[in-house]
This record gives sequence, C-alpha cells and structure tokens, in this order.
Amino acid sequence: MENNLDFKNAKERIEHIEDVLSSVAAGDLDKRLQTDIEDDLTGIEEAINILIEDLTYELKQSKKMKEELEDKLNKIQEQQKTIVQQQEDLLELSSPVTKVWDNVLILPVIGTLDSQRTQIMMENLLQKIVETGCTIAILDITGVPTVDTQVANHLLKTVTAARLLGADCIISGISPAIAQTIVHLGIDLSSIKTKATLQDAMLFAMKKNNQLFEGKIHLEHKEQEEDDK
Amino acid sequence: MNLDIHDKKIPIIKIRDFLIVSIQVDMHDKLAVQLQSQILHEIERTGAKGVLIDISVLEMVDSFIGRMLSGMASMAAIMDAAVVIVGMQPAVAITLVELGLEMPGVDTALDMEKGMEMLEKKLREKES
Amino acid sequence: MQEIISDKNWNKLGIYPIVDEHDIVKVRSIVRQHAKDFRMGIVEQTRITTAISELLRNMYNYANGGDVVIESGDIEEHNALIITCIDKGPGIENVELAMSDGYTSGMGMGYGLPGAKRLVDKFEIYSEPQKGTTVRIMKWK
Repeated sequence: MENNLDFKNAKERIEHIEDVLSSVAAGDLDKRLQTDIEDDLTGIEEAINILIEDLTYELKQSKKMKEELEDKLNKIQEQQKTIVQQQEDLLELSSPVTKVWDNVLILPVIGTLDSQRTQIMMENLLQKIVETGCTIAILDITGVPTVDTQVANHLLKTVTAARLLGADCIISGISPAIAQTIVHLGIDLSSIKTKATLQDAMLFAMKKNNQLFEGKIHLEHKEQEEDDK
Repeated sequence: MNLDIHDKKIPIIKIRDFLIVSIQVDMHDKLAVQLQSQILHEIERTGAKGVLIDISVLEMVDSFIGRMLSGMASMAAIMDAAVVIVGMQPAVAITLVELGLEMPGVDTALDMEKGMEMLEKKLREKES
Repeated sequence: MQEIISDKNWNKLGIYPIVDEHDIVKVRSIVRQHAKDFRMGIVEQTRITTAISELLRNMYNYANGGDVVIESGDIEEHNALIITCIDKGPGIENVELAMSDGYTSGMGMGYGLPGAKRLVDKFEIYSEPQKGTTVRIMKWK
C-alpha cells in the first residue's frame, strides 16, 4: 500500500517550520518557509507564510496607529497647556486694578471668589498699591453673587494685607441680600469700611483724600507762617 | 549683649522730632531684640516723638520679628512716641496675614514720605 | 502620628546643621534660593522661607539646634521642595496642642507650628518625648 503522504525530507522540513515559528514568536518577521516542493505539507507551509504576512501587516498597522495616537496625545497635552495658560490669563484679567483718581484704586470683583482667585487678586492689588503709591483702594463686590464665610475671610485677608502696606480698603457694592447673609453667618466685618454702592465709596475716598490734602496744605501754611516770622 | 553682633548694629538717625531706622540686613532674633531696646533707649535719650521703621529691604518677616515690631509700637506708645512701619513688601504682608499676625494697632505707610506725613499729622492731633 | 522617613527616589540637595543664629539666617537664604530654582513666585518664596524660619527658631530655642535636610521629589504628583528639620531635643509632649493656634510653651511662640503649616502645601510632624522632633514641610509651585 502506497503511503498517500509523500514527504520529502519530512523531518528536516518540520524542523524548519519550528525554526521559522520560533523566529516569528521572537519578533523576527522576515523569515518565510520555502514552498517549492509540492506535497501535502506545502499547504501548511503556505498557510504559515500567509499568517506571517498577515501578522506583519497587522503589526505595521498597529504601529502606525500607535504613532497617530501619540501624536494626538501630544496635541491634546499641548492644547491643555494652552487652556491652563488661558485660564490663568483670564484669572488675571478678571481682577483688573485701576487708578481712578488721585490716590484711589478700584478693584471690581466679578464672579465667585475662590482661594486661587483671591490669591491672584490680592497679589495684583498689593502690587498696584506699591507701584502707584495710592493709599486708598476700593474693592467693589457688586458683581459677586454670594458672600459666604470663605469669601468674607478672603476679603478680610486682602484688606488686612493692604493695611500692612499702609493702604486703606473700602468694600463697596454690598447688596441687602449680602448684608443679610453676612450678619446671619455671624461674620464680623466691623474692622472694614463698607459702603452700599461704589458711588458712596468714591465719595468717601475723595473726602478722605481731601482730608489728607488739607492736612498737607495746613502744614505747608504753618511752615510758611513760621518762615515769615 | 553678644559681641559678634555688635558690629552689625542698625543705625538710628534723628531728624527733627523723629527717629529713622532703616533695616538693611536679614534679621535674626538677637538682632531684633537688640534693635528694640536700642530704639527705646534712643527715644528716651533724644525725646523723639515718632519713629519711622523702614522695612522695605526685608524679604521676610516671621512671627518673632513681627511681634518685635508690634511690641515696639506698643512700648514706644507708652513712652509717648508713635511708631510707623514703612515700606512692607506685598509678599511679606500676605505671609504675615497667613501666619496669623495681623499687627492690629500698628501704623503703616507705603513709603518714608507718607510715613513722615502720618507722624506729623498725629503730632498735630495730639497738640490740638 | 507616623515616623518620618525619606523616600529613596528623592533627590538630596543638601544637609545643614543648625548651631547658632547665623546658621538660621544662612539656611533661610539657602531655602529661598532653592525656591527660586523651583521657579516659585515671590509670594511662594516668602511663604516657605518664613515657614522654615519658624521651624528653625523652635529647633534652636527648644532643642539646642539640629539638622536641616533639603530634598526634591514627587509629592502627590507635584515636583516638590521637601525640607526636614530633625532635632534631638526634649520632644513635644502634646503635638495636637502644639499645633493649635495661639498655643505657647513659654517663649512667646504660639504662631510657629500652626503658622508654618498654613504657609506650605504639606506638613508632617513626628515627636517623641526625650528623643526629639522631626518636622517636614513640602511645597510645590
């Protein structure tokens, strides 16, 4: 009986298959099986070759995808950086300090006051006080929706730090609702000059300014009198 | 008092009725204590009615120096002399408030000129 | 209260003994320089320098000095400046009390420890009576 499986160098060829497969397993996809002999083993050999081709293709694809993903990730990180930067810029922008009158600064506070914002606001205000030499600063909180204990503490902190530099703060824009909350929460703002409207605060600041100014005139006047003698 | 800090004595200058102290060195505790009694003795010796302490160069004021400065103001007040702290840096002010030292009762001014005006005003108010 | 140990991955930047008041002034300016190198802003620099000043004073007044170790390392996903003050002084009997505002043990302190804690991002303390105290402060940008 003739054996229908006609293998030439069967042992050698199977060893070769094992060889190639272990190379593939190790990551070497360049090796292929020779398929020049036609017999039943050839089908297996060809199938293995096709599998290796497929694998090569898939690997290439996934590598490409990985690169694309990394690219995208980099872009996203880049965008995130920009967003953070913009947020920081916005924070600074949202606390503009302006000199509105001789010796008077105004800081309109709009939106919710959290610790980070207060921090930037406080630093901006103090820096501006030192730069301009203004000794009166008005913090207008008309645009602050609610004042809770934390916000009040932030405001107190800012006012106290400004006082240490030698500037007086007035807090204006205290609505009836905010006045009610402040008292209900038991927050003590008695150490701070508060005014209902920005206009009241401005008038108060100018009056104070005049006092300072008159004081100076008075002094110069006195000195002149002394000189005249 | 310790000898090694003697050479670092902070100068106190008298102009008219006022003493002017400009702190130009990084303070340590002994120096701060020494400065306090030095100023009080100068008030006694010269009869000065006001003291300006310029701290614009100080990059840091911790609780000890802070307390020394506010203690200084209360002590001078009992001796009938007013103290004004001048030129505190913003970062120092923020740190002091966070530390819990709000220095109530201590007068402050942005610069020497404003501090001087403040003292003069106080003197006038006292006289009238 | 947990014992304070250093992480192997941290980078040691320096170790300084505190013997007299001049060492305090010196270490304060070294800490400020490190804070600058960390690109901290002027307020942050002042905060950590002030905090370390409070700790060094405690160390000098109550424990006759000690050692300061300055390191950098990852803390809660931040690149942090880590400063550890180690003394072999009498230790603190009641740490909780010492950490409360306004408490003073006689030399007119009362702001030192709680104040320093408020000025930094992370604060750790370990103290054993008769053995000494270790305080670690951490700050990031």
